[in-house]
Amino acid sequence: MSHPLEPRLAAYIAGKLPGATDVAVTALERISGGASRETYRFVLDWSEGGEARSRRLILRRDPPASLIDTERRVEFEAYRAFAGSSVPVPEMLWLEEGDEALDHPFFIAEEIAGYQASPQMLLSGAFDAVLPMLAERKWTILGEIAKADPAPLARWMEAPPLDGCWKRELDHWEALIDKDQAEPLPVTRAAIRWLRANPPPPAQKLSIVHGDYRTGNFLFDEAGQIHGVLDWEMSHLGDPLEDLGWSLQPIWSFGRAGQAGGLCSPADAVAIWERASGLKADPKALHWWTLFNCVKGQGIWVGSAAAFNRGGNRAPIMIYPAWWLINAQDRAMLQLMGKL
Amino acid sequence: MNPPVVPVLAELAGLLMKNAMPGVPEAERASDLSLSAMLLLVAGEMWDRQAHILVEENRAVRALLGETGEDADLHISALKAENDRLRAALIEAQAAAEAAGDAARQDAIWAELAASTERRKLSTAPV
Repeated sequence: MSHPLEPRLAAYIAGKLPGATDVAVTALERISGGASRETYRFVLDWSEGGEARSRRLILRRDPPASLIDTERRVEFEAYRAFAGSSVPVPEMLWLEEGDEALDHPFFIAEEIAGYQASPQMLLSGAFDAVLPMLAERKWTILGEIAKADPAPLARWMEAPPLDGCWKRELDHWEALIDKDQAEPLPVTRAAIRWLRANPPPPAQKLSIVHGDYRTGNFLFDEAGQIHGVLDWEMSHLGDPLEDLGWSLQPIWSFGRAGQAGGLCSPADAVAIWERASGLKADPKALHWWTLFNCVKGQGIWVGSAAAFNRGGNRAPIMIYPAWWLINAQDRAMLQLMGKL
Repeated sequence: MNPPVVPVLAELAGLLMKNAMPGVPEAERASDLSLSAMLLLVAGEMWDRQAHILVEENRAVRALLGETGEDADLHISALKAENDRLRAALIEAQAAAEAAGDAARQDAIWAELAASTERRKLSTAPV
C-alpha cells in the first residue's frame, strides 16, 4: 500500500524540476525517532532528457507540536554552510516554509544511505574495536565545526557578543523550563542558580554551534568512519565550548559511566577537540558549559512531556525521553556539582 | 512520572488498537509498537514503587521543612500533588539556605535531593 504523502510529494518535486517528466515518489516510510521533525526516506524516480533517473532522498517535515521548536530555515542553512567541507553533511535540495504542499513546512535532502546512527547498535559491543577511531573522528569533526567561519550563517542566526553567549543560552532554556515544567525541579533550579552565580569567561570566538552533537546524531560505518552529521535543528551562533559540553554531558554516555559519548574518556575527547579546533577548553569554563547542557537537556525533556500533556503531540516518542531522562538528567547535574 | 502514567496508558491503548488495523505503514507500525513496548516496561517497573517513593519522599521533605503530618490519601494523584507542593517549598528553602550561607542546611537538602534521584532511578537509566 502506498503512503498518502507520496503523490503530494511527487507533485511538489515535479514543480521544482521543470525539465523532468514521469516524476514519482515510492517507498516512502517514516524513520523511527525524530521527535523534533517527522523524518521520512523515499525514492524519487523521474525522466530527464530521455533518461530514467532515480535518487534516494529524505523528507524532514515539522510535526504538529515538537520536542523542540526551531526554525527549519536555520537547520537547512546550517547544513548548507558545511556542504563540501570536512564536516560531512547531506546535500540540501529544497526548503518549503509554507503549509500548502504537505500541511506543514519541510525540507528535502539527499539520503546518505547504508550507514548506521543508532547508539545502542554502536555500543552493543560489535563496534568496540573501532570506538577509538570513531572518537577521534567525532571530536575532530566537532573541532572543525568550532573552527569554521560563522559569517555565512549570520544572515539566519543572531550573533551574540562574546561575553553574552552564556547568558543568552541560559535565559533561553530557563524560560522554556518555566513555561513547560509540569512539576517542581529542585535539582535543575539549584543548577541554574549556580550557573548564574558563576558565569564562564567570554567565548574565545564566535562559532557555529551544532546544538545537538552527540552519539546518535552521526552516521557511522564498521570501519569507524563518520559519513554524515545530522540533526542541526538546534544550531545557532555561540561559544564553541557549548557543543563540547553537550558532547560530554553524562546522559550521552548511554550508561557507560565516565565515557564521553560512550566512546572514550572525557580527557581524550577534549584533547582531540583542542587539536582539531586550535582552541583551548579551559576546565572551569568547560565545566560550566557541561552543567549548562544538563539544564538544556532538562529543558528538552520537560518540553517533550509538555507537548504530550497539552495534547499537541501524543506520539510515544514524546513520552519516552521524559520518562527515561528527567531523573537521569537530575543525577547528571548532581554528579557534576559533586553531590552524587 | 511526567507525563502521568494514566493518560500515557490510555494513549498507548489507542495506539495499539490503531496498529491492530490494516493499512498502517510497516515502518510506522514497527516504530509505534517498539516504543510502546519500552514505555509499558517503564510503567510496569514504576507500578509497585510509585506510591512508596512518593510517601517516603514526602515524609523526608516534610522533615526538612519542619512540617508535621502524613499522607492520608494514597491515590498516586494525591501523593503527587502533595509531592509537588513540598518540592516547590524545598526549592525556596534551598535558595534561602544558600543566601544565608547555611552550609549544614544546604548539605541536608542536597542529601535529600540525591536520595530522591536514587528512589526514582529506573533500571535502564543512563545515569
